[in-house]
Amino acid sequence: MNIDRKEVLRYLGYKNQSIDEVMEKLIDEAMIEIKEIMRRNYVYNIYDIENQSEKVILKNTNIIFQSKSLGEHLHNSDRCALMAATLGIEVDKRIQYYSRINLTKAIVMDACATAAIEALCDKVQEDMREMAQREGYNITSRYSPGYGDLSITNQKVIIEVLRAYTRIGLSVNNNYVMIPRKSVTALIGFQRGEENIVKCKCSRCEEKNCMYRKCGVANESEC
Amino acid sequence: MSRNVDFNKFLVFDGAMGTMLQACGMKAGELSERYNIEKPEVIEKIHRAYIDAGADVITTNTFGANRYKLNDTGLNLNDVITRAVEVATKAAKDKLVALDVGPLGQLMEPYGSLSFEEAYEAFKEQVLAGALAGADIIIIETMSDIYEAKAAILAARENSNLPIICTMTFQEDGRTLTGTDPLTMVNILQNLGIAALGINCSLGPKEMMPLVHEVLKYSRIPVIVQPNAGLPKMAGSETIFEITPEMFAAYGRQMAEAGVRILGGCCGTTPEHIRELKNALIGLKPVKTHIERITAASSSTCTVTLGGEVKIIGERINPTGKKKLKEALMKDDMDYILREAVDQKDNGAHILDVNVGIPEMDEETVMVRAIKEIQGIVNLPLQIDSVKPKVIEAGVRVCNGRPIINSVNGEDKVMETIFPIVKKYGCLVVALTLDDGGIPKTAEERLKIAEKIIKRAGEYGIPKEDIIVDCLVLTASAQQKEVKETIRAVRLVKEKLGVMTTLGVSNVSFGLPARSLLNRTFLAAALSAGLDAPIMNPMDADMRDTVRAFNVLWNHDKDSKEYINAYADSKAKPENNDNKTNKDLKKIIIDGLKEEVKETVREFLKEFKALEIVDNYLIPALDIVGEKYEKGEIFLPQLILSAETVKNAFEVIKEDIMKNSSHDRAINKGNIVIATVKGDIHDIGKNIAKILLENYGFQVYDLGKDVPTEKIVGKVKEVKAPLVGLSALMTTTVQSMEETIKALKLHCPDCVVMAGGAVLNENYANMIGADFYVKDARDSVKVAEMVINGVKKN
Repeated sequence: MNIDRKEVLRYLGYKNQSIDEVMEKLIDEAMIEIKEIMRRNYVYNIYDIENQSEKVILKNTNIIFQSKSLGEHLHNSDRCALMAATLGIEVDKRIQYYSRINLTKAIVMDACATAAIEALCDKVQEDMREMAQREGYNITSRYSPGYGDLSITNQKVIIEVLRAYTRIGLSVNNNYVMIPRKSVTALIGFQRGEENIVKCKCSRCEEKNCMYRKCGVANESEC
Repeated sequence: MSRNVDFNKFLVFDGAMGTMLQACGMKAGELSERYNIEKPEVIEKIHRAYIDAGADVITTNTFGANRYKLNDTGLNLNDVITRAVEVATKAAKDKLVALDVGPLGQLMEPYGSLSFEEAYEAFKEQVLAGALAGADIIIIETMSDIYEAKAAILAARENSNLPIICTMTFQEDGRTLTGTDPLTMVNILQNLGIAALGINCSLGPKEMMPLVHEVLKYSRIPVIVQPNAGLPKMAGSETIFEITPEMFAAYGRQMAEAGVRILGGCCGTTPEHIRELKNALIGLKPVKTHIERITAASSSTCTVTLGGEVKIIGERINPTGKKKLKEALMKDDMDYILREAVDQKDNGAHILDVNVGIPEMDEETVMVRAIKEIQGIVNLPLQIDSVKPKVIEAGVRVCNGRPIINSVNGEDKVMETIFPIVKKYGCLVVALTLDDGGIPKTAEERLKIAEKIIKRAGEYGIPKEDIIVDCLVLTASAQQKEVKETIRAVRLVKEKLGVMTTLGVSNVSFGLPARSLLNRTFLAAALSAGLDAPIMNPMDADMRDTVRAFNVLWNHDKDSKEYINAYADSKAKPENNDNKTNKDLKKIIIDGLKEEVKETVREFLKEFKALEIVDNYLIPALDIVGEKYEKGEIFLPQLILSAETVKNAFEVIKEDIMKNSSHDRAINKGNIVIATVKGDIHDIGKNIAKILLENYGFQVYDLGKDVPTEKIVGKVKEVKAPLVGLSALMTTTVQSMEETIKALKLHCPDCVVMAGGAVLNENYANMIGADFYVKDARDSVKVAEMVINGVKKN
């Protein structure tokens, strides 16, 4: 799996400034180092769902997601996958280490790790698509706790039902902060109709002035 | 009453509980512990099935019965555990019941939010309830984090008399999810006073086999293995395990033949697996294994074995005679100590000695803090160094790994206080060859004391391989005649006692010129006499060179690999002889040349006063960089690189000010306390703000991340800070921020609060009571200048 340099730069707030040799090298080294130390791990499970628009019920479980926006996202789906993915704790350790002795590198490493976890999720999503297609399904894009009105507390629900702590070392603290930091929980819908992939997930975010924003008013063309 | 458990015989544990509960209709998302209260008959049926299959021990349904997992479930922890033990005891009849203690499901400090002390308290509750209800054994299982395992073991030992078994779970790469390898696990756990240790879950028996062999090689206590029924595979939406009971049993037999004493099953195993396993052991007697007895210290992820290649114990974290370290300790400046730790590691230290004894501070508190900080950043084993037993105990208790205690000696009183600590926490200990009569003159007398210490340690159950003898170095300037007695003593101790040795080498040269020359010569002599682990300054190139050369000459550094690595291109490398210091200090800062800047500032200090450099070069350069950043001409890492460059410049300037204390005007525009609030662990933004604020001359007290309100309020009061910076990244932790601001307004009404973080904006920040919203680190500097220069808040 490769880390996309363009993504790294985007997470660093890059807007076509000139980059000297030293910085180029730093970014290259950080990308290599993250690749060396990350222990990519993920778990998922697939459930039949009942979509009641105000809430999504996973059949044969006692899990209910109270969320209108999730209901909309899954409006064509009759099954969905819960997934949890992480780069592992060594990445946190290393970033912490650099933040005490080389803050610039810590920041670049952090951006590399963000790009890496997104890439891992893309890969999981790709696997999911293949699996879905074998059974005649298409998939939706990932939908994570914190999107729309899907409460961030659902991170805990997903982590517990997937037993993500014992299986991949992913935990969530009392404030619903995931540790290791570079981790994602998400839902992916399986649906019979056309694929429903939001090309750019920034498009549904309210934060119009975000420095990481890829699309929308500022520079639509990039999307 | 609990019954005696015979660990000299094979013990067969039960198999999976979760797998069986699912087969009994438990839905995903249901809490299995709820069954203890609501459907105990289901649990009893499962226990019975395992008893009928031949299990000698059944495990209570309490894997997740801890305060963190039961939070918000409406279940009472005591009830859940008591009922679980009752149901198991009823099913077990004459068989044994093990109280199951699983991980708390939270990552521990410094990466997670759970402190060692909190973990201990959580486990203590479980242990008390389980022991009271009548469990026979405590099994602490499926641990990924050895620090958490240590907290659980201490809680079990200090709150019950039950035998303790501890298992950890490994990934296919041979490490736990937090990075512990099998040797490190054994080295730490077997010395913590438990009955058995081993491996469970995650892997099937086949994948576990090499790890099991590694554990058997070192474990002096019985070994337990509880594999899954193979690696979990997805079949549609079902998780399946592919190892049949027959295959499982065959692997079980192989493990037993290799020396495993206790066997059972984890995920995917059923009573059938256990029945076959039990049958497979018929006719087999417990196998005695050959164990390698080593002298080894561990961090959580790395084990350093003494003997063979010379191991360097870094001595620099010790305030004796170090003005800057003393000052850092007084100011609670952990960054300085961490840098010492990192520098020593980078220069080849294998183990770090930690001594924080200064009379002005509470040594125990500082020791605990220093250890937690160091082990969060550097993965080397530690040597806890203090003259106060209380400080030593506090230190080794929170140490994540197997530390060395520095030190014990031949005085009865000292042995009586130190050995119980060594034994309880399973440490190594440095034994100084002195006693009430002081340091004996001759090598023979020192040998005698070493013998006495080893014998006495044996009475406490401490084997001699856990003792590292220090024959004590005397200074050539004062006791020239005795210097070579130390060398003789090392040789004698090595020959007669066969133990590992250490020496504080650089004492030898005290009071003489060209100390390095004496140090390295003495070091070479001591190494050839049998010194295993010199305590020394790893940054001393002469001594480091001596160690490297010795490792070649004594055939430790095979094929001279490390030596060649270190020196092969030492000639080829042209020294940076074009020595023209770049005179443009501003440009150096703008370009972020953080190594070059120090030399340039030193040059500048010959011409200018320290504060002139700050006012005329550093600050203006920072302003330029800041403006460029705001205009989008540079991006974040470039800004930070410049900030780090200024930080390095300041270090040189501060050194200069310290030397010439005539400049009374230190650079401190005002005190600012900053923290990432309770519950939040994101601190990069806060760290960026810190460095920029420091660049502009503010004294920043950085309390770190996940900081409780009381601590922030306390610090603000203590340093009378007029300004506090708070950071939170998540909507959920903005609540903590609000609480912190409320407390600050109540207890420190004059203090101004600025708040920042991804989810905040102007309105939101105002809503939760912050005086200022800062959108980035640059903004925080502007607010600080405004607030501290007396401009009143809006």
